[in-house]
Amino acid sequence: MPQMNSVYRHREFGASLTTLADYERAGGYLGLKDALALTPDDALYAFHRSGLRGRGGAGFPMGRKASFLPKDTGRPTYIVCNADESEPGTFKDREIIERNPFQLIEGLTIAAHAVGCERAYIYIRGEYEAQAKVLDAALAEARDAGRLGPDALGEGRPFDITLYRGAGAYICGEETALLESLEGKRGQPRLKPPFPAVAGLYGCPTLINNVETLAALPPIMHRGPDWYGSMGPEKSPGTKIFSVSGHVLRPGNYEVVLGETTLRELIFTMAGGVRPGRHVKAVWPGGSSVPVIGEGSLDVPLDYESLNGVGTFLGSGGCIVMDDSECIVRACHRLAQFYRHESCGKCTPCREGTGWLARILGRMVAGEGRGAEDIRMLESLFGRISGRTLCALADGAVMPVKSALELFPEEFAHVAEHGSPAPAPMMGEPVG
Amino acid sequence: MAEHDDGLIVLTINGREVRAPKGTMLVDAAKAAGIEIPIFCYEPRLGAPIGACRMCLVEVEGMRGLQTACSTPVAPDMVVNTESEVAKDAQDGVLELLLANHPLDCPVCDKGGECPLQDRTFRFGPGRTRSLEPKLHFPKPLDLSPLVALDRERCIACFRCVRFSQEVAEDGQLTFQERGDHTEIATFSGDPYEGRFTGNTIDLCPVGALTSNPYRFVSRPWDIKNTPSVCAGCSMGCNLEITEREGDVKRLTGRPEPNMAVEEGWICDRGRWGYPALRSADRLQAPVLADAVGRRNVPLERAVTEASGLLAARGARVGILLGDAVTVETGFLACELAARVGGGTPAMVARTGIPGHGLGPMRALPGAQMDDIDGADVVLVVGGDPCTQQPVAELRIRGARRAGAQVAVIGPRPTALDASCEALRTTPGHLLDAAAVINERLQGSERAVVLWDEADLAAEPAAAEAIARVVAATPGARAIEMCADVSGPGLRALGIPAAGDLLTALEAGAIDILLTIGADPTAGPAGDRWAAAADRAGTIIEMATHRTGLTDRATLVLPMLAPLEDEGVLVSMTGRAQRLRPGAREAAGAAAAWEMIVGITHRIGSPVPDRTPAQAFRRLAEQHAAFAGLDYRVIGSEGAAVAPVPQDPGVPARGPVGDGLLVVPCAPVFGDAVAHRSDALEAVREPSRVALAPAEAERLGVRTDARVRVTTPEGTVVLPLEIDSRLHEGAVYLVMGDPASGAARLLPGDRGPVHAAVSAAAREEVGA
Amino acid sequence: MTAHEIEEYLSPMRHEFADPRSLILPALKFAQGDSGWLPAEDMAAVAEATGFSQAYVESVATFYDRLYVEPVGRRVINVCVTLSCMLRGSDEIFDHLADYLGLDGEGTTEDGMFTLAKVQCIGACDRAPCLQIDSGEQIGPLEPADATCLVDDLREQPAPARYER
Ligand SMILES: Cc1cc2nc3c(=O)[nH]c(=O)nc-3n(C[C@H](O)[C@H](O)[C@H](O)COP(=O)(O)O)c2cc1C
Ligand code: SF4
Ligand code: FES
Repeated sequence: MPQMNSVYRHREFGASLTTLADYERAGGYLGLKDALALTPDDALYAFHRSGLRGRGGAGFPMGRKASFLPKDTGRPTYIVCNADESEPGTFKDREIIERNPFQLIEGLTIAAHAVGCERAYIYIRGEYEAQAKVLDAALAEARDAGRLGPDALGEGRPFDITLYRGAGAYICGEETALLESLEGKRGQPRLKPPFPAVAGLYGCPTLINNVETLAALPPIMHRGPDWYGSMGPEKSPGTKIFSVSGHVLRPGNYEVVLGETTLRELIFTMAGGVRPGRHVKAVWPGGSSVPVIGEGSLDVPLDYESLNGVGTFLGSGGCIVMDDSECIVRACHRLAQFYRHESCGKCTPCREGTGWLARILGRMVAGEGRGAEDIRMLESLFGRISGRTLCALADGAVMPVKSALELFPEEFAHVAEHGSPAPAPMMGEPVG
Repeated sequence: MAEHDDGLIVLTINGREVRAPKGTMLVDAAKAAGIEIPIFCYEPRLGAPIGACRMCLVEVEGMRGLQTACSTPVAPDMVVNTESEVAKDAQDGVLELLLANHPLDCPVCDKGGECPLQDRTFRFGPGRTRSLEPKLHFPKPLDLSPLVALDRERCIACFRCVRFSQEVAEDGQLTFQERGDHTEIATFSGDPYEGRFTGNTIDLCPVGALTSNPYRFVSRPWDIKNTPSVCAGCSMGCNLEITEREGDVKRLTGRPEPNMAVEEGWICDRGRWGYPALRSADRLQAPVLADAVGRRNVPLERAVTEASGLLAARGARVGILLGDAVTVETGFLACELAARVGGGTPAMVARTGIPGHGLGPMRALPGAQMDDIDGADVVLVVGGDPCTQQPVAELRIRGARRAGAQVAVIGPRPTALDASCEALRTTPGHLLDAAAVINERLQGSERAVVLWDEADLAAEPAAAEAIARVVAATPGARAIEMCADVSGPGLRALGIPAAGDLLTALEAGAIDILLTIGADPTAGPAGDRWAAAADRAGTIIEMATHRTGLTDRATLVLPMLAPLEDEGVLVSMTGRAQRLRPGAREAAGAAAAWEMIVGITHRIGSPVPDRTPAQAFRRLAEQHAAFAGLDYRVIGSEGAAVAPVPQDPGVPARGPVGDGLLVVPCAPVFGDAVAHRSDALEAVREPSRVALAPAEAERLGVRTDARVRVTTPEGTVVLPLEIDSRLHEGAVYLVMGDPASGAARLLPGDRGPVHAAVSAAAREEVGA
Repeated sequence: MTAHEIEEYLSPMRHEFADPRSLILPALKFAQGDSGWLPAEDMAAVAEATGFSQAYVESVATFYDRLYVEPVGRRVINVCVTLSCMLRGSDEIFDHLADYLGLDGEGTTEDGMFTLAKVQCIGACDRAPCLQIDSGEQIGPLEPADATCLVDDLREQPAPARYER
């Protein structure tokens, strides 16, 4: 179904655009043409002006980050596209790659013009092999058509893209771990500063952006940064794809204009709501690493600031919905296991703390809880893990659980005492 | 304003004003001000900080969250609190988490009592963990190698050992495997961790995860005494620490406060695990006197008296031969003894080692210390092989390369540096050809360091002269003589010549009494000639630590203390005077050489005034310009540079002797007598062997599994053969390992060029 | 797999990386395609082809979930068990598959045909509960019965010429 106001052409046209011909018919590469008509600095300014913020999780203004790259260092400048998409509940980049790979390629080419880059890398998670094949084909086609290669940015201005496959590690989504992995090392985050903009890949200035961020550049250039900036609130303009999963009837990706749709609309109008008779119990609106919110917060508009206002984050837009049939401690235990498994092991608080959290929660759901003592221990551990590590994985491990404990203290206490929650209010149909 | 004229940055730590140079990390700035911030992963010798363990979190005003003091540089007006409630809680927290999976088996851990984890837990932590969860278990403790044991459960993943292996030794062997709380230290497929520097990982480990196998369960920290001293294994003169218990050396470690101008705290495995040689079966236990009555043990007093009696005999012509690792005090006192004996006939004092023909121009070059290598733009290794002969120098050179220096290794031998540096193989005997390349590499350099091999250049005076000229013409270039003798520079500075004339005199029957001090001339170059020559002296008096080729013929055998047991000064290859401090109670029945000499002079009736090596040193410093202004206090724990003594024995160069292939001598310290006496080093010691290029082996009709006869004018030995495609044709590489093999005896006494005939050994020789 | 074969595979992409270290991961993935996992000899071949130490190569390999340094079955069935899939019944799918394959939880069937593994989110929560055969298309949403059909289908198919994991 075509979608008005979509930034992503396959959505706008309601069709997959996996050949260059299709993509160009749908208006592809007009953005690059417009970008190349501008000086690099003006193109960069256009990024700024659009108000586009990073869609990988942190929401950092894209144009500002690009402007941090030092110029004329005598060393290459690199762009790295973060297609690691491993945040639980997030699958929007997958859709862009599967159905609209050229828009990402075009976006990267535009960014290359702006920052003066001759080679970019797309780091794609190992589990996206099927998607990598689509990208491989698209890259080959773009190369054949001269869209990549010696004259990609105009005569004598080369640009090309290397697709680099990960091999299964969530932490490689963290930008410095990604760089380490891309450099052939164990994917462990680096000490910052220096930030990647100054010393990134191979120690060179490097711009790292998410797939969705980079793919937004072609329409921004073609329709103009002001068009993009006019959508949604001033500080959070543009559209964002939310991946909705969990206890909803129509899981999937939904693109919304930021600030114009509420979480309730996303869950109920777009994703079909929870099963009849069920209530939304908990929502992690921005991927599993953000604080959980309850039914009372559903009317929050979807944009960075409003979500912060209800104590959570927009994050990657991976909106996980849980209804009242599930136990919050069991859900938290599952997440804790995820973070324990994915901790890279570099920082003590994360390496030891995520395991400890998982073990306490595991005991609780196995009926071996120690009551109030466990709750006190959890609370104390939260503080000893978060805010003390190199990267945000550890914070991401704590936030969803800590917020859950704050939101559902009775249920935690009950589980810690009895091993299972008080009976769910009403049994519904199994999810199909 | 906060940056003062002295260039120091002023900041506040815990309410105190602290000054530190720009670029200093908070943890170091605090330390200098007497404030301890706990650390685990931080170790500047391993490279830039990595901020992994999170132990050093502190509060910095105006900065969001806590900062790792190990990686936060000082800034003007910074206000730091290392003891605030938040900082304390972070430190507590990290320790508690570190202990969450730690086995807490301190009572059976070798590290117990000297364990940073234990200490920091005591000082900064809650002292316990509240974790009641089951701990993670790893497979049983295992031997990473015969020398290093690994207990994975104790590992806190601080990265130190891994970074040492990957980024300092660059041996690539020790790594992390798996991730998260399953992270473990491992080698490839469980292979043993092999290398020349593996023991440093033990020193680096802040917990009991890596321990020394030979030291396992040997002592507890409260039973031991640690003494800083110097390694006498090679001319590097690495500082180390001796662990003693009940009079015995139980362990050697790198210095906790490294000498950055020498070894940076690293020592090689030969240095670290050579100490069992102190108690090897051939250690001399008691003085022996052989006279009309027969051969028998006598008390030390008696032996010294006998020695003085013999030496004081009217008209006796005395020759004194010093080993290559005796202290300068011993050398000095030996010279004084020589002046007092012989009843008017001049006695000779000489040292084993390289005469140094034609080295004058090289030795006149401005000298460098090891830490000058750090900031060098060009580092050249000319001849020799520091990796096997002065091992710890290799680490310094690797560090320079990482820091951006152009490093070239020039000479006839393949070295361990070849893979990562420019390797320029020269034709054996033709170092002269390298002068042009050296000149080229030095062009435009401002801070070059040239490490040159004493033996190789002494064998090629023309090359020495040409290279010296090139280096001297390079502004800022400095040189380090990689000498063959452990304390050669010190003894040379006292004017003690190499032993060539003494050997000739002995052969001519011009010496009646030969006194050897820490020397076994029969095991070294021209060993057979020395053995025969010694027989011509009517009397042999031997001071030695272990049995030698002369022991059975000696009239008097005086057991002598080894460097680890002795006191005195050794001068390293960079001309640095450093103090040996006795790390063990004197071996029973043995005495220090200097003390025995003092005893002898006393009994001769013209006593020297010295009661301690320090006093002897003070006198020698007054008499010898090289040591002017030095005393033990000045030398201190860092050592002090000895003034260079330009001198050239001036012996004319000679052409090669013998027939056949030119000999390239290789003298790895892992093949020396100590390595062969120490049972700990069994798995890593180097055997004697002959190495040939494949084509050369083919021409000679010898195969790898064969043993070959090697003949020089000095004699013949049968040795195993190794074929190595990295070697030059037209030369035979003689690796001098096990002293009993006799390989070293094939070299001429003057260490000049020699040719050797190589052929397949006859069947009956192979059995030998 | 020989070092030479790996070198040949890497040679067209060498110029794309400023540091040859970046070739280790592609080399490992390529080497794994041969037997489906990475025996020590294959890691040694990667070390030789890329010029890094064997221990280093193994250290990199063990960091990543989808590089196997222990033998696995001819097909690896990766069942996602992270939150979104759990909420939609992934545990039942997993248990059902384990039952069907005669396994006691994660592991490899006796005939070496299948390895059943629990994996973390594979980016297909819209298809939850879902699984992935090796690193093929994410398959879902699944009913327990679908999962067993899938196994039956796989049994019919020959093992892939090259594994993609
Ligand atoms: C543990 C962790 C995992 C992350 N995973 C991803 C990811 O899978 N994809 C992504 O784009 N960003 C991820 N990020 C965020 C990146 O570090 C980085 O901020 C982002 O790629 C920047 O791109 P953007 O500015 O376009 O969002 C992750 C961050 C952390 C701390
Ligand atoms: S917080 Fe965790 S994942 Fe991030 S660097 Fe530290 S140990 Fe690795
Ligand atoms: S010492 Fe600072 S993080 Fe380890």
